[in-house]
Amino acid sequence: MGQGPVQVGRVLRSSTTAFTVGCRQLISQQGQRVPEFGALVKAEHDHGHVVYGLIYNVTIEDDAFVRQLVAAGVDSAEVIEDQRQRRQVPIIVDVLVAGFGSGGEIFHRLPPQPPATLDPIVTCGQAEVVRFTAHHDWLRTVLCAEDAPADQLLVASVRAAVEARPSDLQEAYRVAAGRELAGLLALDLTRLDGILRHLRA
Amino acid sequence: MALELNKLTPQVEAMGQAMAVRQEDLQGRAAEALRVLNDRPEVTDELLDKIARARKMDAWRRGATPLGKRLDEQCRVMNAQPSATLIAADGSQIYPDRHGIATYYLLNTGTIVFRTGSGQAPSTETAPTVFFEDAELFDSEGQVRTSDYIDAQRGRRELEALVLLAEAEREAAGGDMSVPIIALLDGPLLPWLPPGGEDNQIARDELGFFAEQMWRLRAARIVPIGYVDRPGSAFVLRILELVDLPLERIDRETLRQGRFRRLTDRLLFQELGPNTRSGLFTANSNANDRYEQISGGDRIAFAYLNVSRRPGTQNCIVVRIELPGWVAENAALLDLAQAAVHDNCEPAGYPYVLARAHELALVTQQERSDFEAMLVQSMLKNGLLPETSFKAENKRLTGSRRRG
Repeated sequence: MGQGPVQVGRVLRSSTTAFTVGCRQLISQQGQRVPEFGALVKAEHDHGHVVYGLIYNVTIEDDAFVRQLVAAGVDSAEVIEDQRQRRQVPIIVDVLVAGFGSGGEIFHRLPPQPPATLDPIVTCGQAEVVRFTAHHDWLRTVLCAEDAPADQLLVASVRAAVEARPSDLQEAYRVAAGRELAGLLALDLTRLDGILRHLRA
Repeated sequence: MALELNKLTPQVEAMGQAMAVRQEDLQGRAAEALRVLNDRPEVTDELLDKIARARKMDAWRRGATPLGKRLDEQCRVMNAQPSATLIAADGSQIYPDRHGIATYYLLNTGTIVFRTGSGQAPSTETAPTVFFEDAELFDSEGQVRTSDYIDAQRGRRELEALVLLAEAEREAAGGDMSVPIIALLDGPLLPWLPPGGEDNQIARDELGFFAEQMWRLRAARIVPIGYVDRPGSAFVLRILELVDLPLERIDRETLRQGRFRRLTDRLLFQELGPNTRSGLFTANSNANDRYEQISGGDRIAFAYLNVSRRPGTQNCIVVRIELPGWVAENAALLDLAQAAVHDNCEPAGYPYVLARAHELALVTQQERSDFEAMLVQSMLKNGLLPETSFKAENKRLTGSRRRG
């Protein structure tokens, strides 16, 4: 995940457990990719209320125009950039709600209210990722997600949490998260093994 | 009541037979037109006299005058300029609806600035405006503005946006005239004029505005092009009808019975190679005459152009491009503009910038519904109860029942 907060887009629709964001383009520069699978993002309300979520799906819609261009074999750099950056078809980003913040505290449970339509959604900086993932209760939320690819999301978000920490603390965090998962998945060792393999790789 | 297709069966059968007969007739006359073009392509003084006489005999005949020495001239441009800027504007509208919740009309203009060779995404913009004040909505006789009036306003906004963007682009280049800037409009370049001849003030205003914009573009050396896709025009065919017709036999009756009626010029130019244009012509129209007068001597010219990249008549895409006379006289500048337009037609056979400007401008039914939902909220806030007419409401109900 990148350094500073970047606006991902704005809320198209939301519920207590998930929300969908529309954004105009994929950003990939200087080591920063937005939106990025597994990234921690947030919607800030008034009075210090924050809803946190993890990006679990990014969909790039098509339409008849872009299908025509693909079929006809477009190779103009300007046309390709136009389609990527300027088209009125938004990129759809699905976010799993993972917790909320209030009065400076972070809670790993569902928020009292979902984000509102057109709320800006921004990425969390590294310090905020460290703060949100300091306790492991959010892992349970992800494991229980029904509509998201839970295992892959868990791997991506734990890896992001590891990378957000100083290098001398990274291994300790990885091990601690693995232990927590071992407890949560004690009755499903096959699933646990798959997740741990991806965390180590 | 649904459309009862069984009742149409005999009519559809007759229609198919009629189409086959018509096609045979058209093919025969098309071959004849091509024969005349191939056998008598020279633009002689005699032919020019005939064109002048035909114009005199029937002012409404949509003929043209060739600017070159032959009717079958061709000009191929080999390479596109590596860097060129294409600017396009298009508009759409919501017309006033007396059965709707409020009387208003809306114009939306979409623009795009496409810098070929830059590798950058083009700049795009939309400019929507809703017109609701009495002075905007009603004419001097208190009638709601007609669709012709609204179309003219839309055309003005498109042209004005195009000129502003083109001038800004030239200024951003520090006035460097070496980069070609082409300003594209969808359709003929000259504005549509209401009937009424010289006396019509609206027509005079329209032409005055148009001539002023053309002058500004010329001052900044920006090439305006009206792009007519699948042209239905028959300007050159009107000339070919005169080739074998003795001068003294040219009268209103013989002109009306022209032997190449219902054909289009496109069939004459199916042999144009990729990025090849026909000779240049200028349309003999009242609007062009008046523009020439107002502009101090400039006339809008046109040529047919094959915008396809692939050779062969089966791949040929003949369009008509319209441009001011000062561009027609400058072959090098016209070549640059032609190459840039041809290049921009890849891959879809139509200028990308026009397709995008249209997309940007388009107001869909869904967007119209969303806009009217906003309007309902505003009306309610101001103590008004929005109502559609009984007719509109019944149409909505019966329409939705049929779809269901």
